[in-house]
Amino acid sequence: MVAHPGEATRSYRLRPLNQPRPIRVEADELGEPQAVVLGHECLAVAAVQDRWRIDDEWWRKEVSRLYFSLLLEDGRVVTVYHDLLKDQWRRQNWPEVGHQRTLAVSYEHTG
Amino acid sequence: MRVGCVWVFHFPVAVERRNRVALNRCSVLIGEATEQRGAVLDCSAEAEAKGVRVGMPLRQALGLCPSAYFLLPDLPRYGDAFDRILRALEAVSPLVEPAALGCAFIGLDGLNGHYRDEMALGDGLAQAVRHASGLTPSVGLAEGKFTARVAATVSAPGEVCLVPKGREGKFLSPLDVSLLPCSRDTQRHLELFGLRTMGDLASLPLGAVQAQFGGEGRRIWGLAQGIDREPLRPLRREESMRERLAFYAPLISREALVAAGRELLTRLLGQPAMGGRAARRMTLRALLSDGRCWERAIVFREATADREQMLCVLKSVVGAAPLTAPIEELSIELSGLAGETCKQEGFFSGDRRRQLQVAEAVRQLKARYGRSPVAQIVEVELWSRIPERRHALIDYDP
Repeated sequence: MVAHPGEATRSYRLRPLNQPRPIRVEADELGEPQAVVLGHECLAVAAVQDRWRIDDEWWRKEVSRLYFSLLLEDGRVVTVYHDLLKDQWRRQNWPEVGHQRTLAVSYEHTG
Repeated sequence: MRVGCVWVFHFPVAVERRNRVALNRCSVLIGEATEQRGAVLDCSAEAEAKGVRVGMPLRQALGLCPSAYFLLPDLPRYGDAFDRILRALEAVSPLVEPAALGCAFIGLDGLNGHYRDEMALGDGLAQAVRHASGLTPSVGLAEGKFTARVAATVSAPGEVCLVPKGREGKFLSPLDVSLLPCSRDTQRHLELFGLRTMGDLASLPLGAVQAQFGGEGRRIWGLAQGIDREPLRPLRREESMRERLAFYAPLISREALVAAGRELLTRLLGQPAMGGRAARRMTLRALLSDGRCWERAIVFREATADREQMLCVLKSVVGAAPLTAPIEELSIELSGLAGETCKQEGFFSGDRRRQLQVAEAVRQLKARYGRSPVAQIVEVELWSRIPERRHALIDYDP
């Protein structure tokens, strides 16, 4: 027989974290982001630092997203994705994976 | 909104020709030749007349124009020349938007009182560009960015094309639909429908154009009428700090380059204006002895003022840099300056005594509010590829 732990029964409530938020993105005809509206500011995209696609969970609610890591004109880096099923843009922080934390990203011009 | 557009056609070629007069007598092609798969970045008007287009594979371009003088692009130099132009235009109007290399829009509302008439204002813009860069732009003045850009396109270098308010539709009407900013597919369809001029397109009912081309159709129909509501997005200058070091004897070793970088970082971080602030971006620029430039911009994940951290990144960048000639000058620019950053400690970590204090404080809060107002992040599906599935918040109940 298992002894009673002596503690009151508690109900824990899980709350979602890092939910995607709607964002206004101006994209060109190829779907490449050109500008992002943050608050009341429209900021041009200085560089697309990275892009990757996620297609997952086809067995429940299918997810198909095209992520972009964008360097904005004011130096901020934001991660946005294009929901390919709903044709909507969302902003979402992209967590670092494990301990493979990169110190910096760089881009190059060679003349 | 009244907008001016200044445009130096074939800007990279114009910069190269300004520096090397001999290039004025021949066709010029600029492109990045990497493993035989490069594309044309820019070409002179002579090469364009022979069928060469920007973006075309170099091999094809050289086939069309075999006598062309071929150059590798010097992007930092073009960027510098364009930046000088933008700064000169900012002296005329505070609203300057760079549209593309060699092309900029200028907000003109409120400037009329400073000039005799609008033509004089246009001349003032052209003169500012000439003084700053030695290059001659075409200038268009109109309501809205699109009409101003078209006005600049149809005028010759050094000329000012003025489109009076309310005459945009009439001005655009005889011009070719290829000037409209739309996809290649839409251009092809316009041609198939026999719509050659913007007047042809503007004379159609909006519903018909929209039914055929969707949202893009609505936009180009409006543009063809001279209706352009796209706002001007002025360039915002950010504070930056720059130091450079010229070498008496050009450097050939990467170790010496890192040492020079250390010296520059020490100088930059020691400046009073930098006091207590951190930088989000670092730009390295090296002037090579063959006259070319190498530039690398590094964006830190977190703003930093730590010289050793910056130096660590600099070392790895210099180590991998494809430096093709000895270096005559090195400069470092720190930008994206922010307040001093600090690291936040974990709320639930720390020594035993502190953990007990936190637990006691949370118990008191719970007694007061009925539930714990403090939450803790827990791993849920750490393996998931979907970010919002990986972690969740749970009430912290000690």
